[in-house]
Amino acid sequence: MYRGREGQWAFALHRITGVIIILYLLAHVGELTAAMLGPKYSNAILHFFHQPLFQLGLLAVIGAVYYHALNGIRIILMDFTSWGTRIQDKLWYGVLTLFALLYIPTVIKILPEIFGGGH
Amino acid sequence: MAIRTRKFDEAKRQATTNLELIWWVFMRLSGLLLVFLVLAHIFANNIRISNTEIDYNYVATRFSQPMVKLIDVLMLTLALLHGTNGLRYVIEDYVRHDGWRNFIKFVLYLVVAVLIAAGIMLVFSFPFNKIGG
Repeated sequence: MYRGREGQWAFALHRITGVIIILYLLAHVGELTAAMLGPKYSNAILHFFHQPLFQLGLLAVIGAVYYHALNGIRIILMDFTSWGTRIQDKLWYGVLTLFALLYIPTVIKILPEIFGGGH
Repeated sequence: MAIRTRKFDEAKRQATTNLELIWWVFMRLSGLLLVFLVLAHIFANNIRISNTEIDYNYVATRFSQPMVKLIDVLMLTLALLHGTNGLRYVIEDYVRHDGWRNFIKFVLYLVVAVLIAAGIMLVFSFPFNKIGG
């Protein structure tokens, strides 16, 4: 893993996506916990987060999750197999390929919904 | 100190404490489980339906199913612990000032403890009899 090579990019992206996900998760659990206040407040809060700006943010968080999950599998392969570290750069291109295969259809599905208006 | 290595035997040698080694293993185990749990969660709530359809009734209906309760409590706990420990690595790497580092970690642990408790309370104490009411 050399500076500026695949390993360092993989690591930096893993960190950034991880921080994005945990910050989102703290808000996400808080938002749903508001359901304990009953339907009136809960619906108001959920509705507030259905605005396009937040939905776009959520779509970005989904992308972060995809990358973090796939690169996490790469890390596990590097840690627990004899060959993982040797081909870690190839594994990272595999991560990016799978990421594109998952994320592009997701964006195609969700993006029109954001601007099509929900309920 | 956080372990930065890529092999279990190296991690074992590098670990300053047993607890640090346990966290290293936990990150990999919880991470593997979370791949399946979170991708299924995204599929159920963002792909299968539109996220903007989610309202109180939807949440209540989901949490009335025992399997969802079980899986969501597991996912909530694993995800918050995995994320908090990850954020601890980041804080320990970048916040050099002892006082600030300890303060930020303390606030983080407090928030996470409250959210795990609140989340579990939510999943198990939902007023199902009031659906739609």
